[in-house]
Amino acid sequence: MERGKKKDMSLLKYESQLREPLVDGDKDYHQITEDIVRPIEMKPSRLWYIGFYISVALLLFGVYSVYREVTYGIGQWNLNKTIGWGWDITNFVWWVGIGHAGTLISAILLLFRQGWRTGVNRAAEAMTIFAVMCAGQFPIWHMGRVWMAFFVMPYPNSRGPLWVNFNSPLLWDVFAISTYFTVSLLFWYSGLLPDLATVRDRAKTKFRKMFYGVASFGWSGSTKHWQRHESLSLVLAGLSTPLVLSVHTIVSFDFATSIVPGWHTTIFPPYFVAGAVFSGFAMVQSLMIVVRKVLNLQDYITLGHIEAMNKVIVLTGSIVGCAYLTELFIAWYGQNPYEWYAFSQNRANLFSPYGWSYWLMMFCNVVSPQLFWSRKLRRNITVTFFMSVIVNIGMWFERFVIIVTSVYRDYLPSSWSTYYSPSIYEIGFYLGTFGLFFTCFFLFAKYFPVIAIAEIKSVLKTSGENYKVKMTDIEKQDAEKFYIDEVAHAH
Amino acid sequence: MSNKKYWQSFGELNQTENFQQSAEKEFKEELLPLADLDDKGILDAKTPRRDFLKYLGFSTAAATLAASCEMPVRKAIPYLQRQDDIIPGVANYYASTYVNGGDAISVVVKQRDGRPIKIEGNELSGITKGGTSAQSQASVLDLYDTTRLRYPMQKDGKDFKESPTFEAFDKLVGAAIAGKTVVLLTGTVNSPSTLQIISEFLAKYPGSRHVQYDAVSYSGMLLANEATYGKREIPSYHFDNAKVIVSLGADFLGTWLSPTEFNKQYSATRKISGEKPEISRHIQFESMMSLTGSNADDRFMHKPSETGAVAVAILNALNGTAASFADKKLNDGIKLAADKLKAAGGNALVVSGSNDVNVQIIVNAINEAIGANGKTINWAITSNYRKGIDADMTKLVDDMNSGAVGAVLIQGVNPAYSYSDSKKFIDGLNKVIGVSFNATMDETTEQCKYVIPGHHWLESWGDAEPKTGYISIIQPTINPLFKTRAFQTSLLKWSGGSTAVAAQTAKGDSAVVTHPAPVSAIAAVISKGADYESYFKNYWLNKLGSADNFDKVLQDGVFEPATPLTAAGATFSGAKVEEAKAKIAAVKGGDTEVVFYQKISIGNGSQANNPWLQELPDPVTKVTWDNYVMMGTDMYKVMYNKDVLTDKGASDAYEVHPEKPVVKVTAANGKSIELPVLLIPGVQKNTIAIAVGYGRQSADKDKTSDNIGKSAAGAGQNAYALVGFDGTNQYTGTVKIEKTDKTYPLAQTQVHGSNENRPVLYETSLEAFIKNPEAVLEEVNKERLEITANESKDFRNDATLYPDNMKEKPGIKWGMSIDLSTCTGCSACVVACTAENNVSVVGKIQVQRAHEMHWLRIDRYFTGDMENPDVIFQPMLCQHCDNAPCENVCPVAATNHSSEGLNQMTYNRCIGTRYCANNCPYKVRRFNWLDYTGADSFPDNQNPLIGVDMNTTILQMNDELTRMVLNPDVTVRSRGVIEKCSFCVQRLQENKLNAKKAGDPTLIRNVKVACMQACPTNAISFSNVNDKESDVYKIRNIEHKHRNFYVMEQLHVLPNVSYLAKIKNTEREVAAVKEAEEKGEEKKAEKAHA
Repeated sequence: MERGKKKDMSLLKYESQLREPLVDGDKDYHQITEDIVRPIEMKPSRLWYIGFYISVALLLFGVYSVYREVTYGIGQWNLNKTIGWGWDITNFVWWVGIGHAGTLISAILLLFRQGWRTGVNRAAEAMTIFAVMCAGQFPIWHMGRVWMAFFVMPYPNSRGPLWVNFNSPLLWDVFAISTYFTVSLLFWYSGLLPDLATVRDRAKTKFRKMFYGVASFGWSGSTKHWQRHESLSLVLAGLSTPLVLSVHTIVSFDFATSIVPGWHTTIFPPYFVAGAVFSGFAMVQSLMIVVRKVLNLQDYITLGHIEAMNKVIVLTGSIVGCAYLTELFIAWYGQNPYEWYAFSQNRANLFSPYGWSYWLMMFCNVVSPQLFWSRKLRRNITVTFFMSVIVNIGMWFERFVIIVTSVYRDYLPSSWSTYYSPSIYEIGFYLGTFGLFFTCFFLFAKYFPVIAIAEIKSVLKTSGENYKVKMTDIEKQDAEKFYIDEVAHAH
Repeated sequence: MSNKKYWQSFGELNQTENFQQSAEKEFKEELLPLADLDDKGILDAKTPRRDFLKYLGFSTAAATLAASCEMPVRKAIPYLQRQDDIIPGVANYYASTYVNGGDAISVVVKQRDGRPIKIEGNELSGITKGGTSAQSQASVLDLYDTTRLRYPMQKDGKDFKESPTFEAFDKLVGAAIAGKTVVLLTGTVNSPSTLQIISEFLAKYPGSRHVQYDAVSYSGMLLANEATYGKREIPSYHFDNAKVIVSLGADFLGTWLSPTEFNKQYSATRKISGEKPEISRHIQFESMMSLTGSNADDRFMHKPSETGAVAVAILNALNGTAASFADKKLNDGIKLAADKLKAAGGNALVVSGSNDVNVQIIVNAINEAIGANGKTINWAITSNYRKGIDADMTKLVDDMNSGAVGAVLIQGVNPAYSYSDSKKFIDGLNKVIGVSFNATMDETTEQCKYVIPGHHWLESWGDAEPKTGYISIIQPTINPLFKTRAFQTSLLKWSGGSTAVAAQTAKGDSAVVTHPAPVSAIAAVISKGADYESYFKNYWLNKLGSADNFDKVLQDGVFEPATPLTAAGATFSGAKVEEAKAKIAAVKGGDTEVVFYQKISIGNGSQANNPWLQELPDPVTKVTWDNYVMMGTDMYKVMYNKDVLTDKGASDAYEVHPEKPVVKVTAANGKSIELPVLLIPGVQKNTIAIAVGYGRQSADKDKTSDNIGKSAAGAGQNAYALVGFDGTNQYTGTVKIEKTDKTYPLAQTQVHGSNENRPVLYETSLEAFIKNPEAVLEEVNKERLEITANESKDFRNDATLYPDNMKEKPGIKWGMSIDLSTCTGCSACVVACTAENNVSVVGKIQVQRAHEMHWLRIDRYFTGDMENPDVIFQPMLCQHCDNAPCENVCPVAATNHSSEGLNQMTYNRCIGTRYCANNCPYKVRRFNWLDYTGADSFPDNQNPLIGVDMNTTILQMNDELTRMVLNPDVTVRSRGVIEKCSFCVQRLQENKLNAKKAGDPTLIRNVKVACMQACPTNAISFSNVNDKESDVYKIRNIEHKHRNFYVMEQLHVLPNVSYLAKIKNTEREVAAVKEAEEKGEEKKAEKAHA
């Protein structure tokens, strides 16, 4: 018995053999630093420049589109008296959704002690921040008088005083998104500190020393620093966890609390959160598959990571699918003629003007992720990349379907709208946020460690491939020794 | 202790008396009001020290404000000597008369700070009784039309040059027309003083004559009346006396003869009142869907060429001969009409819109046979709306071309545009001396050698006699804006009118003696010489006998017989009836026939450059800014192989894309135009309909925008050219219609025509209503009970989870009630709202993009048989919900609820998220998508969009001149904010103040919102619903409680606008909601069976 206990203790030191290693290859601590910091210290590749310039070009087009819209009016877009929101809010909700994976990975998975998060959390968090930045553009610039946007802030004023309308879900959005952005940024940056210090310590030029020196806030790696860092991470993770649920819940309130048939749906909060995680993970997949290839990080972002995320995708995709069917059922069961019309005619009727968008959404979000029940496909990089794009297209259409197909034929038939398709400036604005997102991401990938060095090191000893091999050897020896000592001896 | 003495002042040191006194009172001293300082100067006053900080603070703040904020310079020039009757900020009202061609409507003009800004109906008029029309409402904008001519001109090469003075111009023209045969070409003139001037003028020019020309002719009717009654006149019609009204294509509620008058009369017969209400029976026979047809109880369709045959069939059916058309429905309709007409015992009326003299003869025969002559047709009072005879015009054009006429003086008409053979007219005009008195540069004026623009009616003196004995006075409400002159003055001058005026003046002097004070002013004017103003005043002083009478008439605006003349008939001669029958029998139709009609907005095209009218959606088709080929579903199916009635995909596709297929229409005279196809149910299957009045174009195409106007340019195609002409203008004919590859986007404000079985409107038949008045709203009431907790009947307070805050509020609570039974869709309210509330015009491109700004719109729904549907018009405006969904979603509280039940919009606070618009179930909120008004924070951001996103009409509306029409009581909204109906809050406030000043709360009952005031059928009521004596309270709770409903009430948004269900006087099943439900159930049953 005593010996058995001893054996249990030793087994706790490493993960089960059945689990895949989280870090492939014969890595040691120094090798990890080398692998991850090298791209920062090297000149950017040609591919980086091409990508960066394309992103900046898109960003500039976006800036021009917004300039047109602000100078001349929202009439530069093709919205109309019936369809007050179109691509603007569709894109807003889409981008907010994209951001969710980052927080989920960094906060919830941290609390759940999921070691595999270390490979992807840094990039995912960065993605969150950039996505929220993109998302924020839409509710701001979609205002008819954006120069009065500060009216949404509840600041003490001499107008009566005149306060904001705390009943309005749009106001809740203001608080939700700004809180979310702040916490995410803090979380991301505090995690970056040790790694920035690593980069600083390796820096050779004066400028780099100064830049990373300032950026790392004088991190010295002392035990005290680490202790505070760990505590802060846990606190922020604790703060972020409810935010993952609340942000998209509140975004969904924009619709759920309204009276528009097709918007006024109580299932929205959980359904939006699931959808957000769904699209967020898909976006992480799209990005990481490219990043690991370009920056040569296959050892850190392994097939295991990709498979784990695909599992989340198939789970959340199925939740979303259930939600679609539930709201359809409730629309029928609820006997509200307006709601049933919105679902049966505006959406589910393939031959109605926007029927195609509903079925495209259904295909992308519900049918296609079911492929991932197959382990083989989950671990296929090409399929995963392709699927991640499909999922994001599907999720974009989900928001489009909710927003446009609800309002274009709502209560009063006399106001039913003509066909809405975006103007060049609406498309330009959307492309511009892609430009913003990728410009930020390219800069991030160039100047910051895309993988959390410190954190990956922390799992190396339990889940690194070489350590696992070593431990297997030890275990084997142990078992042999046991056999020799105990079993053979007994004989 | 030291003896050292510390002192602060010499006073203290010496302990003077003064010091001791002041030391005692040191803290008791009272602050003086500033006024006390006046005579002493600040430093000598008792308390300068204490006030120092106050002054310092104030002056610093004032200096900072003055120095740091750069305020734009706005020139407001005060009156050097204020006129007694002008108080800045307070409106004055003057009675006057809207005149246009033969149209005349007695109105009251609202004038603010010297500018006429709004037209209201004159309730003293016995003809229109306070009603107005869309055109008369909009005509105030014509006053400020940028294309108005600003001075007399003469042709110089291709262009015109200004004539320096009127005298020089008079000399020139005098010399030019001297000794020539002069023809005065005008529209219908119904001004008695003008007619006298014309006759005096003609007397001076031997061989000259006066030709009256109506762009849309009533010649056939005049001649038919001559043939049957011996009078080339139009009698008065009394729709209000008619229990049965049969209209053969006469759009008497829209454009026929005197629609405002007829709307008033018609609505009187359509009001539901009492236990057993009686309303008139209106049967319409027509080929296209007209506004009147869409209001009819029963409507039957026939080919345009069959109009005469239908009339004959009705005449025969009165004698018991059954009609024998191929269309069984039509035969039934004729039988129905004949039966009802016979049964009415003279209280019936048949009218026809045809310009065919034979058809009108038959119509007269019908009226004679049913005894209408003398009952609903009044020959004691004749109408003077239209007098033009087509043959006169034909002869004039021939004479001009042959040289038999030397000079043509043109006033108020535009034959170069509206005459069907306009080329021939223009050729003729170029052969004579053409003088134009038209106020704007138009196609005809362009061809004239001399132009002396006349006043707008708002700048004129004048009179009108729309019906014999019924005078309406025109008085100016503003000084002429430009160097223009009344055309009557020109005639007086050119006829050497001094003698006539002198004679008049002499007569006028007798009045001076008896009433020195007012007439001295008049005499001063008279002494200026031969002008129309003095002539007019003398004319009426003589007729009225005294200056007091004149003043009273001027104030009332009308001069009418004290007791209405009793209706009288005229002797009918049936001699021509058989001949007419024979001629009608000989009429041959074609496979495709056309009806030319006028839209209620643009009419004959004289107001084509009026942006308010161009942007006014046609009530039936909901299209703005264009004319089109109106086509029924059958013809569309044949041409495009798409059946929109059965194929939902095809109907969706047609509906959601503004691009409509373009067809080429070739008339019998070989001329053709290309127009988009607009699909409207209820158009006869061999018929298309095209509106005239569009396609105004300058001789030099590129100058259309400058000459004719920015709004008229590019609006539709000219259909007058296609009008058949054979001495009588025929507004029907055979055409060839061909498909083209082109498409054209129509700016349509409503694309979906069905109410989709939603509780938006209710209607029932009179019979059913009398049987059980509650049946019409049975469903609603049942549903109310179902929704309400504990089956409470208090839907308002108990159908909600929320506590007390919905309870009735004390004080004032504004509410509106709209009677769908009497609303005819005439759209006067829409233009009135636009004028009152400075609603932006957005132009064709923006309407195509569904960006129109109308606060009040008329929703039109088709129900029933889709080949010949019932139509309901529903004025839709902000419902001012007490539980408004728009209010709680606004993040900045820019829209909120007033204690008086108004849903208010704070434009300054609005940041334009459009959330409120999304959440409005009635979709009445309007967003300023672009800078429509020039009131934007970004200057000059309209010009770059002109031609791309905006039409030049935006520039026209924002011209300095045009902006004079703006109502100063209403903010002009900037780009990026939401706006909507405010229940004319500026009027409510004014009214409340008046009541307060008078100390009489009941005066609040006088309030009239703009739409209500404009309505010629009194369909709209508005008042404080907490007042149990108020109209709306009575309508909702007592008089019409069985018909009272709220649109989509079960949403529990608690609207403050209620509607009254429509009652149709027919034996058919007409319940809009129920019918659709039953159909749905039938279908379900069919499916289940299958």
